[in-house]
Amino acid sequence: MLPILEIGPLVVPVPAILLLLGLWLGLSLAERHAMRFGISNQYLYNLVFVALISGLVGARLAYVLRYPQAFLSSPFSIISPNPGLLDPWGFGLGALIGGLSYGQRKHLPFWQTLDALTPLLAVLAVTLGLSHLASGAAFGLPTELPWGIELWGASRHPSQIYETLAAIAILVAVWPGRGLIRSAQPGVYFLSFVALSAGAHLFLEAFRGDSSVMAGGFRQAQILAWVILALALWTLARKRAEPPAQTQ
Amino acid sequence: MKPTKPSLWVVFSLFILAVGAGWILLSRTGPDTTTDGKIPAPRTGFLAPQFTLYNQQGQPVRLSDLRGRPVLINFWASWCTPCQAEMPAMQKVYQDYQDQGLEILAVNTTYQDDPQAVASFVQEHSLSFPILLDTDATAAGQYQVRALPTSFFVDADGIIRDVVVGGPMAEALLRIRVEQLIGRQAPLQETP
Repeated sequence: MLPILEIGPLVVPVPAILLLLGLWLGLSLAERHAMRFGISNQYLYNLVFVALISGLVGARLAYVLRYPQAFLSSPFSIISPNPGLLDPWGFGLGALIGGLSYGQRKHLPFWQTLDALTPLLAVLAVTLGLSHLASGAAFGLPTELPWGIELWGASRHPSQIYETLAAIAILVAVWPGRGLIRSAQPGVYFLSFVALSAGAHLFLEAFRGDSSVMAGGFRQAQILAWVILALALWTLARKRAEPPAQTQ
Repeated sequence: MKPTKPSLWVVFSLFILAVGAGWILLSRTGPDTTTDGKIPAPRTGFLAPQFTLYNQQGQPVRLSDLRGRPVLINFWASWCTPCQAEMPAMQKVYQDYQDQGLEILAVNTTYQDDPQAVASFVQEHSLSFPILLDTDATAAGQYQVRALPTSFFVDADGIIRDVVVGGPMAEALLRIRVEQLIGRQAPLQETP
């Protein structure tokens, strides 16, 4: 665990740096292979940039709408850089709206764009696992297995390492041009990544010690992963039934 | 297009989904998985580690004595600029929520600070919440404080609900987190 790195007077938050590194590496990889999917790398870069900015705006706006009284008491907090005042659902919605409107304005084909974004998502998944390892978040259940790690007062499953290894395996499987997933059908590449990630999440969540638990002891994240897996497999089945797409 | 391919895919998909559903059923868990009976650790969802520190008047203050009230534990130093910047907001929030049971324990990392500078800082900012002196890094060690300021929002049951590393915290963030803590506690009882 290395949440903070002290370099002289500088205090560097390692998990955030890892995510930024993932964004940079993933975007570089995605840009390099964007033309494979018929997307200009400049459009792809702009799309990610617009989605990030609109995501951040959405995240702060959602927080302001949820707690208007707190912001009325201190209006300057609206422009505060505190990440604690960002709503993750607001970020997702903002990024989606921003990304979709940019894509529509530039007439970007939906499935090909998602395919082009897949390497970025796959690299980000690896760095997300590493950032969990650095911060001690997404920790595992207590275990007596010899590979358990001492964390938060117990020997625990190294769930962050499981997560990182699974993400690396998926990245290798979807590596553009050299991975196992190759299909001319737009969307198959992205949907395969989603199905693999949802499957890995469904399996590995069982070893997590911080799951949100629903009635009956069911883990919320597993149910969500199962639904996403089902949707991805169903859409893949429909894609497989479609006639092969023309190469662009 | 051959009709066998999609149907094979459908069978494969159904098999995967059935295995997934079985795994979800097998890996069901109890509601206390996170803390496993409330293990003390400086992490959201865990029991706040207990400590006893002395305030500026030389009186001992025990965290365990504050059970039943929401507590904000803030680690700070007088030379730390973000700590200085967030103190006025903390004082404001303390004044607004003190009657609802809020307690703020401002733990000064005295082992790396000057007690005289601490005293003049407190006087200068008219801070009315308890200032605790961590002279030998006991509390900072228990809470694994690696950067200043670091704040722990502890609910009435003594469980850490949020950790904010770095600062300064915006006043809105403080208000929201404190209101979330107050929302979790039972209504305060009148003491006879």
